[in-house]
Amino acid sequence: MRRILGKVIALGAAMAVLAAACGGGAQPQASASAAATATAATKPKFELATYMYSIQTKGKIRVGTREDNVPFGLKNPTTGKYEGFDIDIVREFTKAIFGKDADADPDKFIEFVPVVSATRIPTLNDNKADIVAATFTINDERLKQIDFSTVYFRTGQKILVKKTTTNINAVADLNGKTVCTAKGSTSEQNITKQAKDAKLLLLDTYPPCLLALQQGQADAVSTDETILFGLVKQDPTTKIVGGYFSDEPYGIGVNKGREGFVPFLNSVIAAMVADGRWAAIYKKYITPVSGDVKDGPHDKGRPAS
Amino acid sequence: MSGALMPGSILFEFPELFLKALGYTIQLSLIGSGGALLIGTVIALFRVSPIPPLRWIGVAFVEFFRNTPLLVQIFFLWLGLGALGFRYFTTDTFETIFRAATLGMALYHGAYVAEVIRGGLIGIERGQIEAARSLGLSFIQTLRYVQLPQTFRATVPPLGNIGIALIKNTSLASTIGVADLLQAAEVVESRTFRTEEAFGVVVLLYLVLTIPAGLGVNWLEKRMLIAR
Repeated sequence: MRRILGKVIALGAAMAVLAAACGGGAQPQASASAAATATAATKPKFELATYMYSIQTKGKIRVGTREDNVPFGLKNPTTGKYEGFDIDIVREFTKAIFGKDADADPDKFIEFVPVVSATRIPTLNDNKADIVAATFTINDERLKQIDFSTVYFRTGQKILVKKTTTNINAVADLNGKTVCTAKGSTSEQNITKQAKDAKLLLLDTYPPCLLALQQGQADAVSTDETILFGLVKQDPTTKIVGGYFSDEPYGIGVNKGREGFVPFLNSVIAAMVADGRWAAIYKKYITPVSGDVKDGPHDKGRPAS
Repeated sequence: MSGALMPGSILFEFPELFLKALGYTIQLSLIGSGGALLIGTVIALFRVSPIPPLRWIGVAFVEFFRNTPLLVQIFFLWLGLGALGFRYFTTDTFETIFRAATLGMALYHGAYVAEVIRGGLIGIERGQIEAARSLGLSFIQTLRYVQLPQTFRATVPPLGNIGIALIKNTSLASTIGVADLLQAAEVVESRTFRTEEAFGVVVLLYLVLTIPAGLGVNWLEKRMLIAR
């Protein structure tokens, strides 16, 4: 009810502005066009039909993001501000849409919509958010329901062991070992495919996997490297070993039928990678847990110096 | 689509997985309910014993295991005791987990069994016990020959209820990694995305266990009535 009331008021206000602009004679018209040229100088111009134009007109971009996913999307409980890799990427999109006005504080132009894994697609399909940036792996199943930008972050499955473990260095070494991972995940299937004789300990979440590893009841924990980063942070006596043995490309989720929006996001991602903004965001959020530096969403990282 | 035409066909696509899982669920149910009956009887005897410290132990046991979630208990029995280095006398992780889960089933349901049996014991007419004692039977003999046989007969239906609840509650063992029926459903679901079929098959397999168990309880109840 309140929402409908809000819309009615907004509509009323818009009509009043329109009436003033149309019926006010010569003088107000002149000042209106002057204002238009003033904003055009600070805001990028988009074609009328594009979704960027409509976001710019509405004045805010609605962003679906997670609030508890370190280091990608987190709502800082003390400051109430959002932070993380995904969030900073979104701030760059915001600047690209709203121009110089957004440079100082892009958050003024962002409306955050909290999501969890299962609500990411519905949030887009129900038009509750313009984009979803939440460690969103691009795959065929999802591409049937929504569009994705190009890959802005690439990760994959790796192996976590105790620092004292020396005989597990690659996925093949998991054969005959007890490996803990979450059930119902692609992680479990990847291990089954690539290390047939691994003994899988399947739990619901990763913290008990870490406990089992600490107690020596599991030889290794294996899942997306980004989740392993969090576990290493919790327990510095563990280490991540081996290369990626699965591919998890993250993309920005967009509802289907947004005119010109995906190519626009892609161009911003490409620009960020080219001018080093991407590398700076990586260094800010990922390097502290991964210990490497990267200049783009590929898998060739090098140790941080 | 094939699943819609032939429900249950997924069972034959992963026969080994489902059968092994059924085996684990049956083992958990059998050993768990045996343990629960044993523990419950002992605790019930503690609770009616003339020795106060035994009664206190009985009360503490029942209140603790009845008033905390089974899920928390089995996590504690596995990783909590694991942190203290206790591995249930085996070096195999999966055996440790299975034993922890089984013990959890026995302890939790044992608390309920204890209350049912205690109810049966105090339901026996005081005159019978006095008669037995005056005939020269000791306290233990009175229990063994007078009180317990009548108690078990009278408590078959509530004990059967606990047994059936235990069969279903074994599904919680999957949360600590026992490869039981529920875990089989979750694994098959994540491989095939055929959620309804995977869980449908598992529902049927649980029914294959619980319905005969219920019939068995009814049969036992009737037989006990005749014996009385």
